[in-house]
Amino acid sequence: MDWLRILLSRLKTLFRRGGLEENLDAEMRSHLEMLEGEYLRRGRSPEEARYAARRDFGGLEQAKEAFREQRGIPFLDNLVRDVRYGARLMRKSPGFAIVAVLTLAIGIAVNTVVFTAFDALALRSLPVKEPEQLARIFRATPGDRYGAFSYPDYLYYRDHSKDFSDLTMMAFGMDLTSSEVPASGQATLPRIAGALGFHMPQFLQGSAQPLGNAFISGNYFEMLGTQPLLGRLLRPDDDRAGAIPVVVLSGNFWRRQFHANSNVVGSVLHLNGIAFVIVGVTHVDYAGTADTVGDVWLPISAKIALGLPAQQLEDRAALAGWVGGRLKPGVSLQDAAAEFHVLASHLAADYPDTEAHAGATVVSGRTYAPPLDGEAWTIVVIVMAAVALLLLIACANVAGLLLARSAARLREIAVRVSLGASSARLLQQLLTESITIAVLAGALGLVLAGWMLRLVIYEISSSLPSYWGTIVLQISPDIRIFSYTFGIALIAGVAFGLTPALQSLKPDLNLALKDGGSLFGPRLRGSHLRDVLVAGQIAACVVLLISSALLLRGSQRALKTDPGFDIKGILFLHVAHPEDATELSARFPEVVRTLERHIGGLPGVQGVARASRPPIAGGQRWTTVSRASDDRSPESEKRPAPPEIGYSYVSGNYFDVLQIPLLRGRTFTPAEVEASAPVAIVSEATAHQLWPGEDAVGKRIMVGKSQPASHFIGEGQTAPVEREIVGVVRDVRSMDLRKPDDGYLYLPSSSAAPWNGLFLIRTAGEPTTLLSPLADTARNLHIETPTLAGALSSMVSFDPYFVISRIGGVLSTIVGSLGLLLGCMGIYGMVSYSVIQRTKEIGIRMALGAQSREVQALVLRNGLRPVAIGLAVGVAASLGVSQVLRAILFGLDPVDAFSFVGVSVLLVMVAVISGWLPARRATEVDPLIALRYE
Amino acid sequence: MEPERSEVLQGTLDLIVLKTLETMGPQHGYGIAVRIQQVSEDLLKLNQGTLYPALLRLEQHGWITSKWGVSENNRKAKFYSLTKRGRNQLAAEAASWERMAAVIARLLGAEGT
Repeated sequence: MDWLRILLSRLKTLFRRGGLEENLDAEMRSHLEMLEGEYLRRGRSPEEARYAARRDFGGLEQAKEAFREQRGIPFLDNLVRDVRYGARLMRKSPGFAIVAVLTLAIGIAVNTVVFTAFDALALRSLPVKEPEQLARIFRATPGDRYGAFSYPDYLYYRDHSKDFSDLTMMAFGMDLTSSEVPASGQATLPRIAGALGFHMPQFLQGSAQPLGNAFISGNYFEMLGTQPLLGRLLRPDDDRAGAIPVVVLSGNFWRRQFHANSNVVGSVLHLNGIAFVIVGVTHVDYAGTADTVGDVWLPISAKIALGLPAQQLEDRAALAGWVGGRLKPGVSLQDAAAEFHVLASHLAADYPDTEAHAGATVVSGRTYAPPLDGEAWTIVVIVMAAVALLLLIACANVAGLLLARSAARLREIAVRVSLGASSARLLQQLLTESITIAVLAGALGLVLAGWMLRLVIYEISSSLPSYWGTIVLQISPDIRIFSYTFGIALIAGVAFGLTPALQSLKPDLNLALKDGGSLFGPRLRGSHLRDVLVAGQIAACVVLLISSALLLRGSQRALKTDPGFDIKGILFLHVAHPEDATELSARFPEVVRTLERHIGGLPGVQGVARASRPPIAGGQRWTTVSRASDDRSPESEKRPAPPEIGYSYVSGNYFDVLQIPLLRGRTFTPAEVEASAPVAIVSEATAHQLWPGEDAVGKRIMVGKSQPASHFIGEGQTAPVEREIVGVVRDVRSMDLRKPDDGYLYLPSSSAAPWNGLFLIRTAGEPTTLLSPLADTARNLHIETPTLAGALSSMVSFDPYFVISRIGGVLSTIVGSLGLLLGCMGIYGMVSYSVIQRTKEIGIRMALGAQSREVQALVLRNGLRPVAIGLAVGVAASLGVSQVLRAILFGLDPVDAFSFVGVSVLLVMVAVISGWLPARRATEVDPLIALRYE
Repeated sequence: MEPERSEVLQGTLDLIVLKTLETMGPQHGYGIAVRIQQVSEDLLKLNQGTLYPALLRLEQHGWITSKWGVSENNRKAKFYSLTKRGRNQLAAEAASWERMAAVIARLLGAEGT
């Protein structure tokens, strides 16, 4: 217990500083005087007595110091003293302090932002009961490990699995509108997203608003342990065929639509014309296992009430939704995966048509993160590396500044060392200074990060359509983020503080005391290190800026890529097909025909075509195509399945409206289109693949899918169909902007088909002038489903590679520019200090007759040498990086002269200016003063 | 030739100070130092200043207490005195010291037998 007593005693003294020192002094002085008195009594002279007393006593200050160490908690005492000393130093040179703190804060803030996003997605647990027990299960096929399940498969696993206490399904959404929700008003354009080249399609004015929806199995809320805000949540009872249609609102929708009225439970909400009873409300921003919260929660069985053909839920080949589950206590993910492997093989045995080669992937469902494949993880790694690089640049910068400063403090340190300060103590003091700066920077960085995140999230959420749901990722700072931020701040503080500190401890004491470290003495090792730091920063900046130039130019090319058809003069209009069995759905074909006629009559319209998907990135579907003659041969069973190509249903004038050249044969006749005749048009690539060197017109092909896959609405499972080729058209880039389609198939689209609703309208003038007349037309025809319209060229921004390229470019630019800013501050600082240090030398040169221009040039040359080296290294590294980026440059030459030369020139200009400003001050030195300068 | 002076180890300093206070009663730092010098006939080499951290440590352990008073030459001085716990500690340490001395004596004497 003694240690406790001692500890308490030491702690007490922390709070009673003042009088203690006086007492200590008094006690020791009286001892000394008594010793002196003794020697005086023995006959020594007063001086001898005093000397002898002191000799017997030992060092007074050392004794006091030993006493203090016993008395307090020396570490804390020293720490407090160091912090106060550091604060005093910073007050004396506020410029340095501000620059250092700001520089680090930027680096820390950017890192914190990236980490927060990563944390929200991949680290934080879902806000549900015991998230570690949750799992996500996907259907695994040879081509895709993370597919969705069909409803019968889900039921099979649910009924047969022993490892899961619950298995739930969240089914695909439907288009839902409600007569109680007001129609959309004037479209608003998001600001920053629009400026970057991203365009969302807008709803036509007066169009019905779709509701964000989630269809869940009855046990979903029970499994998650969700609590309702009002009323009750969905139960297994509600998910039966023939149950009363009930709906649960999301808190967000409840606030927006019902103004948080607490009497909403029990009232009726009409969805697609069907009456649903509202039984409860979930909490605001609660999204269960999803990352966005919609408007309404419905049981899967409600899809039937809303008009989905019951057969769809019984079709083992129709993909229905996503499966999740809760593991029983003590069961691991591996156990569950093994069990599913066995169950999947049973399914395959029972239903070989659909289930052969299908298994299950089981992953943890604790976090929001969807399973990321290799590509996505590379992007994450790249982003984190880029911001870490920025922080490194910031640290290097501040380290350089500190090095410069420590050179000026050499004398102070030499004196301390000669007074007996230990290396450890000095190191502690120097490190405390740098850590203080780092902690201040961490606090500022946290504030900056919060501000940046709010800006980004706000921008994103105002760009997305509201029916996509509100993103509910938790980005509020919590203890983990605090620790991360201050953790990296501390590491940064030690990193940039250690080297200058170590440098300071090794100077030649004699030289330091005499000279103050002017450059007349041996070249300080510190300046080599500073040069390396500057060169490193510049190299990193160069890589970032060249990458950003390449990515931005590349993604700009994407916007200008000729996709093989006329994209500029086309407006698209999409009327959602009502999926239910209402009156609108019955007369939908008539609506389509009428709409087509009316649009054709609008002024400025040169042609109207129909298609099942837009001709650019979006809605791709695949099917297999093979020569009809091949299929008859007996070896066709053993031959591997033919590759899949994209396809769509189109009206006869599709190629004319889009100006896709017809190379051979003809387009569909109106009769063929209406009858959905067994004809087809292929792209030249497909024609060449199937019949190289021959004319494909007149040949017969087999079109069909045997594996379950996504279909166009209403297609259902089709057996392979034999068709005759009537035309061949030029290749277009409808699947991937980066290259022409490997093959494409066009099939005739009767106006009665349910996948209609997409119109491509060719206009004489600017396509968007048609939006208003179209809105009127739609209103007059009483179209009740959501209607989207926009210029076709805006859809280019949907291409995923464009998105990656553009966003990558923007991020790179931001990080690179910040890096450049930091680099320039660093160069400015270096040259400034170098001028101060070489004042004597400069004075002598000028006294000997050197012109001010020569002196400036000399200082500048020395200061910019590391910049030149950094530039060379950076350009070399960029050559490698650009090869890696090649895939998303849309054909831009990786060694794009404009980017490389442009960035180099920019860098040199900026660096020269940063160095020249302080170099000029060198020549303002009065030689006489300089010579006397110490 | 000056007689050889041994350095005083920290542990033994505690024992010496406690014993001194037991013998002399309440005493200030200088007095303790003088006494040590007297008794050891100058064989113990001691930087007198090192007494103070030792005295503080003994006080932290609760073996001695201190009180401000006035010294012989009318200066303000702190007087230290042994506590009851200190007496016990002294007895314990003295006993263990004697045991150790006996063992070493036997080891050294064993050479001859």
